[in-house]
Amino acid sequence: MLINYLKLAYKVLLRRKFFTFVSLFGTSVTLMVLVLASAMLDHAFSPLAPEVRLDRTLLVTYMAMRGEQNEWSGDPGYGFLDRYCRNIPHVERMSIYTGAHAVASFVNGDKVVSQLRRTDADYWSILDFAFVAGHAYGPSEVANGSHVAVISESAARNLFGGRPAVGRTFETQGQTFTVTGVVRNVSRVREAAYADIWAPITTLPTEVWKTALMGDCNAMLLADSRSSFRSIRSEFAARLPHVVMTEPDRYQTMAGSPRTRLDDVAAGAAGTSGDIPRTGMFIGALALLALLFMLLPAINLVNLNISRIFERVSEIGVRKAFGASTGHLVGQFIVENIVLALLGGAIGLLLSVWALQLINGSGLLANADFRMNPRIFLYGLGFSLFFGVLSGVYPAWRMARLDPIEALRGGSR
Amino acid sequence: MSTMTHEAGTAVADRPRPNGHAAIRLSGVEKIHRTDRIETVALSEVHLAVKPREFLSVMGPSGSGKSTLLNVIGLLDRPSKGTVEIDGQNVGTLPDRALAAKRNREIGFVFQTFHLIQDLNVLDNVEIPLLYRRLAAGKRRALAQEALERVGLSARTSHFPSQLSGGQRQRVAIARAIVGRPTILLADEPTGNLDSQMGDEIITILEDLNRTGTTIVMVTHDQRLASRTGRIVRLFDGRQVE
Repeated sequence: MLINYLKLAYKVLLRRKFFTFVSLFGTSVTLMVLVLASAMLDHAFSPLAPEVRLDRTLLVTYMAMRGEQNEWSGDPGYGFLDRYCRNIPHVERMSIYTGAHAVASFVNGDKVVSQLRRTDADYWSILDFAFVAGHAYGPSEVANGSHVAVISESAARNLFGGRPAVGRTFETQGQTFTVTGVVRNVSRVREAAYADIWAPITTLPTEVWKTALMGDCNAMLLADSRSSFRSIRSEFAARLPHVVMTEPDRYQTMAGSPRTRLDDVAAGAAGTSGDIPRTGMFIGALALLALLFMLLPAINLVNLNISRIFERVSEIGVRKAFGASTGHLVGQFIVENIVLALLGGAIGLLLSVWALQLINGSGLLANADFRMNPRIFLYGLGFSLFFGVLSGVYPAWRMARLDPIEALRGGSR
Repeated sequence: MSTMTHEAGTAVADRPRPNGHAAIRLSGVEKIHRTDRIETVALSEVHLAVKPREFLSVMGPSGSGKSTLLNVIGLLDRPSKGTVEIDGQNVGTLPDRALAAKRNREIGFVFQTFHLIQDLNVLDNVEIPLLYRRLAAGKRRALAQEALERVGLSARTSHFPSQLSGGQRQRVAIARAIVGRPTILLADEPTGNLDSQMGDEIITILEDLNRTGTTIVMVTHDQRLASRTGRIVRLFDGRQVE
């Protein structure tokens, strides 16, 4: 029976080419957008190199100092992180690092712009960079404020052409750095890891950063397990009232909490002050958006399907006369719709691969490497089937319940 | 009841019938079509018994209730009043699913306008009733091929309906109606869309089927064709007048 249904589905698709095109277009484009979105989310939130421990990492990226008249919110300072965030129980390792900022170098008179981030030594043990040459700087270089740097492959190419970079020097921001290692390029999406040049945090030109409560630093707290997040946050919160404010006449309290990457993005997207990231609401909104995004074309497909199936009332009448039950007919139309949806899904997946390559090659997001992985492929397949069933069940059920006599009157061939 | 459980491959003539049961029995059947405003009496007090292996024609002017009668006998429509028995079984209380199964096993339909599925070839069209039985694909194919041989179309299995003449289409429709070896064949003006020569050919096929054991009820306007059947029932304004 299935072969008969499949054969008929194939014929029906060929019969109404425009309808088939509209259905396939709707399904494949919707699917492509969803697959792209999931590829981006996957790329941003999954534990991928170098952020391989992201699933048990909490980030301190946002704090707020508050007074009666004033509020200063943003990145915390090294002074706060160093003095109040160390030695929290269940934190295996902690790293403090600055944001990545554009800096200029001149190579043979040409300006080369790179992203520079300054870090401590633990940064290299929490993140797992792929070194193509040399090595990272260690605690002694950081303690001594050595002017050494790790650079990315693209920075190496820009600064030194094709020549080996390790041991060479380059100049930026009035400082000269010696390259100790070269790593593979890191995606822009990997917030904590992305940069072109990494140098010891102690090479910052002034001394102010050492005591600042607010500034340009972030911290990664590597927990012993995900289940420790709650106790780490509690300990963090318990320490905040003890922070000695540097400008007590303007700011009296500090607020903020270590977050996961998802919390961080959720807080940014919601535009909240960040004390409470409302991640659940963010995920709910995303899910609702995705559902609406799928539902609207599905409703459209339902209408198209009703028109298409109405053209086949005579066939429904014949099948009913010869013993087809409502279940048989619903099954038949669902098989047809699933075939259509899977076809749309296959085209959608091909479009997605093409679009991902286009985005990767466009340089829109530096070093981004969005890929179709098996998990995303399965999401795509699931979406397609969801479409097939959603857009097929209602019209099939409605048509299958047609009175056979009315159905037989509906067409004559 | 043996007629309810027969396999598709069993010849109709070989099947035993319970003694004394009519193949079809209608008792006091009334059918009223109701809309919000009007009621139309399509059938009124119809009493009809069709013996096994009988070839009966139903005649009457347009609107006299011929097709409604056929629909009621064919379990496509339920009477407003009265009882319908098929092979001794009162079908009035059967749920839709059971009616569908009974149609599939015991009744075949031939329509004036053929009602073939244009996207399927001849063999696939003929196979349709067998799709709703648990039969292997090979068995279905063999039965469909056999039914096409009976109507003289075994050489056209891969043709599509649009590639056939009217007479050939109706023969495909007959093959589809008999492929499941039903005990009853209902034909609603099977020659209505055909010229007289093709019409004669179709009636000859039906006569042949009747001789091998199939009970046939045929609606027709054509007195000449009706006279070739064993009995004529006439309807007028939903009433049985003869």
